[in-house]
Amino acid sequence: MSKKMFSLLSLLVVFATLLAACGAPATPAAAPVEGNATEAPAQPAEKVTLRVLVHQNPPMVTFMEQFNAKFQEAHPNITVDMSVVNANDLSTVSQTRLSANDIDVLDIFGFSNGAQPYMKQVDSPNWQQLIEAGLLMDLTGQEFLKNYDPAAITDAGSYNGKTYAVNLGRVIYSGIYYNKQLFTDNNIKVPTTWSELVAACETLKAANVPCMTAGGKDGWPIFVGAYGLLGSIYPDQATLVEGLWTGSIKWNDAKSLDMWTKMQVYARDMMEEGASGVAGDAAPGRFASGAVAMFPGGSWYAPAIEAAQPAFDWGYIPFPGSDNAADNQYWFGKYDQGWAIAANTPNAEAAKLYLAEFSDPASYQTFVDAVGFIPTQPTAKLNTKIGAEIAPFLANFHVGYEQYWIGPKGAGQFANPWASYFKPFGTDDDPQVLADKVQSDLQAGLDAVK
Amino acid sequence: MSYHFGRGWSKWLPYLLLLPGVFFYFLIALGPSIATAVYSFTDATGIKGAPMHWIGFDNYREFLLMGRASVDNLEALKRTLLFCVAVTTVQFALGLFIALIVNQNLKGTNFFRTLYFMPVILGVVIQGLMWSLFLYPLGGPAAKMLALFGMRSEFLGGPPEQAFFWVIAIQIWANMGTTMMIFLAGLQTIPDELFEAARIDGANTWQVFSDITWPLLTPSVNTNLLLNIIGSLQAWQLFLVLVGYRNGTQVLGYLIYATGFGQTSGSVSSSFRQGYAAAASIVLFLLVLVIGMAVQTFLQRREERILG
Repeated sequence: MSKKMFSLLSLLVVFATLLAACGAPATPAAAPVEGNATEAPAQPAEKVTLRVLVHQNPPMVTFMEQFNAKFQEAHPNITVDMSVVNANDLSTVSQTRLSANDIDVLDIFGFSNGAQPYMKQVDSPNWQQLIEAGLLMDLTGQEFLKNYDPAAITDAGSYNGKTYAVNLGRVIYSGIYYNKQLFTDNNIKVPTTWSELVAACETLKAANVPCMTAGGKDGWPIFVGAYGLLGSIYPDQATLVEGLWTGSIKWNDAKSLDMWTKMQVYARDMMEEGASGVAGDAAPGRFASGAVAMFPGGSWYAPAIEAAQPAFDWGYIPFPGSDNAADNQYWFGKYDQGWAIAANTPNAEAAKLYLAEFSDPASYQTFVDAVGFIPTQPTAKLNTKIGAEIAPFLANFHVGYEQYWIGPKGAGQFANPWASYFKPFGTDDDPQVLADKVQSDLQAGLDAVK
Repeated sequence: MSYHFGRGWSKWLPYLLLLPGVFFYFLIALGPSIATAVYSFTDATGIKGAPMHWIGFDNYREFLLMGRASVDNLEALKRTLLFCVAVTTVQFALGLFIALIVNQNLKGTNFFRTLYFMPVILGVVIQGLMWSLFLYPLGGPAAKMLALFGMRSEFLGGPPEQAFFWVIAIQIWANMGTTMMIFLAGLQTIPDELFEAARIDGANTWQVFSDITWPLLTPSVNTNLLLNIIGSLQAWQLFLVLVGYRNGTQVLGYLIYATGFGQTSGSVSSSFRQGYAAAASIVLFLLVLVIGMAVQTFLQRREERILG
């Protein structure tokens, strides 16, 4: 090969590498961009298209379509282009579109999984990575933030003293929906203890009624459905996470073994055969059809159940995982959807206007009524059926395990409290063996980061 | 050196014509590959503007040696090899068998060629949706068939080895058409006179196949084997669509995607670890390279031996 040809090829390699690196994280961290804190958002003088990203939640998407129509009517210069993605893909799509400057307003889950002082060598959660990269606008001081509960703003949307997201509501994931008619028909009283829940399922099974279903095709609904069981055994989940990291709590100690034993009953005996094939979005409809008696799932499913069968009579109870009824009066959940604005948006004023109108108390009330969230605006009311069901224990709401937990690097794939490890969804059928395996997988990670 | 393009400036014409292809090869293949190799030594997150640090071999150390996670990674590596062997063997054999059948001069062969090739033109999402519906355990067609024999199964949602089996089967169904088509093209290049001469000489069906068809199919055999091996080592989309991130089912390709895009923990706020994912993809690349080169060398020697 001649020298000239070699030089030409070398130049091409360098050029191609540079081009390939264009979208990559080669630049140093940009300072977080500060929003215009004092001025009210203004109407855009020219026509703009506001690009909005939300995750798939049918009642929320329906509400957003109606809200967008009204917003566009009130602001003829703004066209809203809303994209909907699966919840599992939200973080990936957000990151990609933020990096490409292809989004103005994005849906972001309440900030969670922050690294704690006792955690070693853990990576920052993706929301923190986005802020540190300067991709989210600093919303501190925006007028519309005053409509929200300051604790929600601090807990679910602030980092290093600045606010980057406004959280729109809390949800519960530790409850069970039940079919009132089927309970009455089979003389079952609403279970308040684990023994009563087991007995209820046995009665239903004897009557050829499957006890529970869940959206097992999506994977997580099976184990998230049992987070209430985890909560009844470990009500303080921040302490649980710290205990697991520091070694004061083990997944194979006597208390945890009780949890695994019950999880096996949940996966093997309570869940209907075939639940692994039910998609997450289809599970509320299957429950509303009357095909099963119970549905362990999040409060966000309530609007979908109501939409599927408006006349269907259902209730929602905390998962009774303990034999002491007093231990079963907690709700565990998380901060759900929130809004953030891309730091580099060319449509900053339109984006802030969008959030300001969304945050208007009347508009926000319509939103929480539609999606069934527990409001984060103090003036909003729990008007919904799910609101009435959760109200009795709302004072006992706790942020759940999943929002605190970050696994140590080097931990094995079984280092989680998931009921889906048991047959028929997994391969395990011995609680003690599984408990030892889970603790061993966790311990391997803890030892690796010592 | 002289070219038929002429002398003077026109002797550069071949290079000029090659330039767009070379440029795009560097742009979309070699450039990103080199970048991936570089990122594998960093803690890159893939987020524009995020800080990136040079961390040497830490990602490789974590992937191959750190705690139980590294054992799980090696399990995924073994599973990838198992997937490759199972898919390549069955897809190759089935593709050849069907190509031999649809190469016969029979009525309706065009219809069957189209039928067998059809899955190839469907996208992975469509393939996944079709099979998810077929294998729906609450009254799907497969469940109903099993019920006739008093049996039931959770199919894709059942134990990991069962789900893994179904992904293998669906991968074969989805790609067998290409294998068949390459064999069919090879079969149609073999002159009919050779078969006729063999028949006149009294050769039976097996002798015709083993002494004429099989040796003359060598180029198609080589192409198919390499495509099947490399394709199955890199497969991950069907795992994403059919089973998601589940313990006991991950192959290396899916592990790379899930790690790079924060899809591993079940939490919606998992971190992005593209530097670590890049290290895992370099491990996969080395695996493909070693196996691909070994197979290529073996097949080349075999071709030289058979065809001269």
